[in-house]
Amino acid sequence: MSKRNCVVILSSEDEDATSKLSSSSNYKKTKSRSTSASSRGRKKARASHSRSHLSKLHEIDLFGDDFNEVFTGSEVSAGTQRSFAEELWVDKYKPNSLEELAVHKKKVEDVKTWFEERLKSSKGVYNNNVLLISGQAGVGKSAAIHVIASHLGAIVYGWNTPTPVIWQEHLYNSGTGTQYTSKLDEFESFVERVRKYGLLLTSYTGDSKPSIILLIDDLPMTNGKSAFGKLKNCLQLLVKSTQIPTAILLTDCGNADSVDYNARCLEELKLSLESSGACKVAFNPITVNSMKKVLLRICQMERCDVTAEYVDLIAKTSGGDIRHAITSLQFFCLKPNLVHSLASSTSSHVSLKEESNKPDTSDSGYSLHFGRDEALSLFHALGKFLHNKRETGVGIEYDQDGFLIRERLSRLPLKMDVPEKILCQAHVQPGSVADFLHENVLDFLDDEAIHDAWTVSSYLGDADILLAKLRGMVCSYNEAEGVLQSAAASIAVRGVLFGNSNPLSSRWHAVRRPRLWQVEKVSFYKNKVDRLRIPACKRFSSYHMSIMATEYMPMLKLLGNRACGYDGPSQKSSPNLEMEDFDFDKMDLDEQSMGLSDDDIEDW
Amino acid sequence: MLWVDKYRPKTLDHVTVHTDIAHNLKKLVKEQDCPHLLFYGPSGSGKKTLIMAVLRQMFGSGAEKVKVENRTWKVDAGSRSLDIELTTLSSTNHIEISPSDAGFQDRYVVQEVIKEMAKNRPIDTKGKKGFKVLVLNDVDKLSREAQHSLRRTMEKYSAYCRLILCCNSSSRVTEAIRSRCLNVRINAPSEEQILDVLELIGKKEGLQLPPGFAARIAEKSNRNLRRAILTFETCRVQQYPFTSKQTIPPMDWEEHISEIASDIMKEQSPKRLFQVRGKLYDLLINCIPPEMVLKRLLHELLRKLDAELKHEVCHWAAYYEHRMRLGQKAIFHIEAFVAKFMSIYKSFLIATFG
Repeated sequence: MSKRNCVVILSSEDEDATSKLSSSSNYKKTKSRSTSASSRGRKKARASHSRSHLSKLHEIDLFGDDFNEVFTGSEVSAGTQRSFAEELWVDKYKPNSLEELAVHKKKVEDVKTWFEERLKSSKGVYNNNVLLISGQAGVGKSAAIHVIASHLGAIVYGWNTPTPVIWQEHLYNSGTGTQYTSKLDEFESFVERVRKYGLLLTSYTGDSKPSIILLIDDLPMTNGKSAFGKLKNCLQLLVKSTQIPTAILLTDCGNADSVDYNARCLEELKLSLESSGACKVAFNPITVNSMKKVLLRICQMERCDVTAEYVDLIAKTSGGDIRHAITSLQFFCLKPNLVHSLASSTSSHVSLKEESNKPDTSDSGYSLHFGRDEALSLFHALGKFLHNKRETGVGIEYDQDGFLIRERLSRLPLKMDVPEKILCQAHVQPGSVADFLHENVLDFLDDEAIHDAWTVSSYLGDADILLAKLRGMVCSYNEAEGVLQSAAASIAVRGVLFGNSNPLSSRWHAVRRPRLWQVEKVSFYKNKVDRLRIPACKRFSSYHMSIMATEYMPMLKLLGNRACGYDGPSQKSSPNLEMEDFDFDKMDLDEQSMGLSDDDIEDW
Repeated sequence: MLWVDKYRPKTLDHVTVHTDIAHNLKKLVKEQDCPHLLFYGPSGSGKKTLIMAVLRQMFGSGAEKVKVENRTWKVDAGSRSLDIELTTLSSTNHIEISPSDAGFQDRYVVQEVIKEMAKNRPIDTKGKKGFKVLVLNDVDKLSREAQHSLRRTMEKYSAYCRLILCCNSSSRVTEAIRSRCLNVRINAPSEEQILDVLELIGKKEGLQLPPGFAARIAEKSNRNLRRAILTFETCRVQQYPFTSKQTIPPMDWEEHISEIASDIMKEQSPKRLFQVRGKLYDLLINCIPPEMVLKRLLHELLRKLDAELKHEVCHWAAYYEHRMRLGQKAIFHIEAFVAKFMSIYKSFLIATFG
């Protein structure tokens, strides 16, 4: 038996080795070929560039060509006989008509009529000439504008982000007397120009004046409050005074409740622009069905036979991002080998089909190599941990290979991803995970299960001890620290999951913000105030806070201020401090608690 | 001025409680070769009083002219510089600080202060180079790193300054530091000694003490002299002339904890645990140190507990106190103790009463 196994392993290794060899030789070939091709391409690019003084955009296109050549090179190596792809499919199958757009019909219609009204009528009829289009990346915002413009016969004139200046370049340039202008300044002056003079079309040499649409696709990056304020002001001015129909595209990054500063800025910008009169349209992520339609159409045109399941899978895992979906389709069609290996890795084609029949395993968390990683909000993740949903039913077979677990320690399998993966997706600090779990977990325990409560709190304590090891090591970030942190988070989460041995049937719960944070803040503040009082009470030696709190304060309360030598100035100064600090505190707390109240977890 | 300060002995001669220690200290200082000193003992036993008296013995009445400052030290810590703010009490000859207030940056404070003291060394009247004294409070609360660096600085600068360390428990001070100091253990005063002090104060204030009244205060004070005197003064404010059955005001936080204890005994469920957590937070907000909360809570629980459970409960209290020291967020561990207690107690109740 073992011998046979051995033989099999050997043979497979052999195979591997040969395949590796062949693949490496292939790889070498492709490399040489592709490099030569790309260098040719680059030469071409340079030549063309020198001949016709085109804008920088072309360079980017040419770069794209290079990229393509690399791609096609690899295709050759794979040994397929398919036609060379000239372009990325994303560019090749750009929507050319309104019908081809995968965006929801109604939204397209809205945008179209908005532009139609403004282009047809004479100038000055409408006060607001700015359309704000928001949506996550890859939902077809720019594509929609371009298609609509070509449908209406208008020219899209856009703000192209200037190429960034590298520091070395700047140093080199500074000798020649050119001054550095920040990209934000350039953007500002562009907006200024557009506002005052409209657009001067130098390249256009037609008879009739065409209608123009101004497209601002890429807002300059802002860092810090003042820069952001500048950007906001300049855009507001644009909204108020521009005469050309303008579309501003805003890419939503992630979820709104994220603590990311930039995301909050974007939100603020959106609101301020809306309030100054811009019309807003929000594009939703593209639905699975329309995505599938597009993908199938591309498949047909490319004549590659991708099974409907895979198209389905790609559409589902792309998270509403059509650009991503098309690119992954192209990647998928690149090598037939890949499909094969994938299928074998997921045990077999048949089993995949079977899986797709079961809705709960295939749609959640099944990701291919090219699936977009989905992000979870903190509250979603917490909800998963706290609700602690597990498989039910009798037919659960335990892993036969695993070691035997005692009855009271075994738990039903989890009805979710591995906790660590969820943590990873939620992008949170381990410390705050522990705090949130600590604050909320008791609500989710059975009323009789005090032993569980002990288990849970004991594990949370373990996590705290691990986290405390980091104290004082703020100076340098190293690998071990990261491991320690994630271990702590993992222990906290798994402790909560394990400890809650018979989870309650799910019902609605609000997730609270850890009160611990507030307690820490207030006690720190109190500490400070009391410390101001100490010198007033005691002239000879300072006492530690604990003695103050446990012995002096209670007695002073009873004595009243009379007996204690409160000095005038200190008394005056401490309420002042109180006012200042407390206002600040309150503000802070309000802000955060407001943020929280929106995010009550519903049962899912 | 509070009585605690008013009747604090100013010199080693006037010390009433630890007379023998005071006598020895006086001899020590007189011989001009004062080693580093480490005072340890429970709170309210007179460590600070002795330290102040020693300083006065060393430097004369100049040691009493102190000023309070909030000082900031700039410290270079590798790549960046830190600003550490601490309250100091200083006279020309000594500085007193509580370095543990700086949190985990405490190790820098000790080094920095001692270095600075070494730089401007006072010269006494005879032209001899004198030394300064650095009083460090709560040495036991210093982190391991800080104690380590304290050890090194102690050796390096021992010619320029003397350290007087003060802490509650010497077991949390590293061996290395303890062996470099003269250890002075200050016991908690006995109830008779407290009684004597209270009667002395009563006499000086011209108060009529009914028989047994002072004894009751002394008994309630847990052998903590400071607490006894504070309580005494509070009683004086609340009601005078004293009656022998006058209630002695309890500490509010202790009341609170006994309330928590009875809550725990009444019901054992996650919901109750959550309520208890809220009450514990109230205590922590008022800066009651978590160690004392845990200790007091155990004390209160033991009073109401069946004898056969006491051993186990004590074990778990010790276990969680240790973990609290290792950890950062005390509430996690106190709560774990409460949960464990509830779990034990509940199974005990089920076993006995079914």
